Amino acid sequence: MSNTNQESEVVFKNVGKMATFKKTQTVILKDCSFTVEAGKLNVLIGPSGCGKTTVINLIAGYERPDLGRVLINGRPISGPSWERLVVFQETALFPWLTCYDNVMFGPLARGVMSKESAHQETVKLLTKVGLEDFRDKYPSQLSGGMQRRAELARALINQPEVMLMDEPFRGLDAMTRKLMQEYYLKLFEETGATHVFVTSELEEAIILADNLLVMTNKPSKIKKVIEVALPRPRDWSMASSKRYLDIKAEALELLHEEAVKASVASGKLDVDLASGYKKPE
Amino acid sequence: MANQTASVESQFLRQISKKFLNWSLLRQIMSFVLFIGLWSIIVVAVDYFHQIPTPKAVFLALFELPITVVLINILKSFFRVLAGFFLGIVIGFPIGVAIGYSRVLKNLIFPAFEMIRPIPPIAWIPLTVLFFVHIESQIIFLTFYGAFFPIVYNTMGGIAEVDIRLPRAAMSFGLERKLMLWKVILPAAMPQIFTGMRLAMGITWILVVAAEMMANKGGMGYYVWYNHTVMDYPHVVLGMGIIGLCGAICSIGINFVGNYFTRWRRIF
Repeated sequence: MSNTNQESEVVFKNVGKMATFKKTQTVILKDCSFTVEAGKLNVLIGPSGCGKTTVINLIAGYERPDLGRVLINGRPISGPSWERLVVFQETALFPWLTCYDNVMFGPLARGVMSKESAHQETVKLLTKVGLEDFRDKYPSQLSGGMQRRAELARALINQPEVMLMDEPFRGLDAMTRKLMQEYYLKLFEETGATHVFVTSELEEAIILADNLLVMTNKPSKIKKVIEVALPRPRDWSMASSKRYLDIKAEALELLHEEAVKASVASGKLDVDLASGYKKPE
Repeated sequence: MANQTASVESQFLRQISKKFLNWSLLRQIMSFVLFIGLWSIIVVAVDYFHQIPTPKAVFLALFELPITVVLINILKSFFRVLAGFFLGIVIGFPIGVAIGYSRVLKNLIFPAFEMIRPIPPIAWIPLTVLFFVHIESQIIFLTFYGAFFPIVYNTMGGIAEVDIRLPRAAMSFGLERKLMLWKVILPAAMPQIFTGMRLAMGITWILVVAAEMMANKGGMGYYVWYNHTVMDYPHVVLGMGIIGLCGAICSIGINFVGNYFTRWRRIF
């Protein structure tokens, strides 16, 4: 296993994806093309239920595109791999394993590290995410913020080329969320690799992102890619900079357009199209 | 001012009583006393209940308990329960795993199971005579049968309800597919698998008693039934109590094992 994170580029080429929900077929992605830039923090933002998680599942290899291609470094993605790891919404730690064993899971499952070096790496990472005193606790004994950090450690030990963050801070209280964002920024700025971060919070999106990928409603595609170009290392003081406010205004306008379209399409002023929304022909 | 001192005093008293008098525990002990009391009163007060033994009669019967006979009967019942229960695990668990894991096998097996399952196990008693020559095998078959469905259904349900993100995460980490069941699916399904085993244990005791009452082959069910035929009702009630105790011991045992294997759920 190499110690330098290879920087990988993910490309969506005219991807189409359908889903069947309660016998209703829904087009989630239609003719969706974009590039996830290598070594950058790419944030996907869009109205809820627009298929952000589908994008994550496609990159992770849990789902396959019905049309088009999803490429990593020019090769099509054929299935799940430790090179592309997901940090899920809420926690998906293995509840029957301690914090320590959860982090050890990846290296031991693949048998790529000796137990001793996996142990050392695990202890190092748990210290890095501030959980060294909680290594023998089960996930149910950890707070929400700790669970997310344990999950970060569990993914990072595998040195993935692409980190897929699927609304990882959803459900955390405002303070913890802010701390986690700062934490995550630091981790990203230290470790590199290509990150895809999904969120529906605009402010979080801007402060984290190198590239802000604004999605449309279903059937979704990328409406616009905004280059954030705020300096790194980032911190929340930049939230009052002109650049930040300009981006916020632009992104809000794009998202607002989508919200209006959605309410017109569904015939009611309800932006949440998480289920049962049929594509108007 | 006077009010304040009074409240301080009463607070002090409350603290003392909290320390030395555990009201909650006392009330729970009262529950037993009330039960025995009601039993004594009803037996005497209701005219046609006069054949029902009083708590006192049952207590006195305890001293003339034929200990060796009862012990042998207890062992017989225990053997049948545990034999049926473990057969239920050995046969039911793999089937539950198979139909929880494979849609094809579920399609093939599940509908037939759904048809058979609503039949109360006791209704199988006449047919068991055709399946097995030995009465002992007939009884064990029944207890097995009682354990079988709860184990199959809960194992299947537990596996079907595993959060899809867990195997997905494991797949991403590079876990071999053949290890997925052992390393991820079964641990995740363990709580519900043990729920099935707890239910199974309860049902095997119901069935062993019913079977023994019919079979004339010893066991605590037979002990109760025999004392009924000779109209020794204090010993009937004693036998019932012993059966209850045995069942409780078994469920404590299975809870202990279950809690050990799912200890990650209970620690806070």
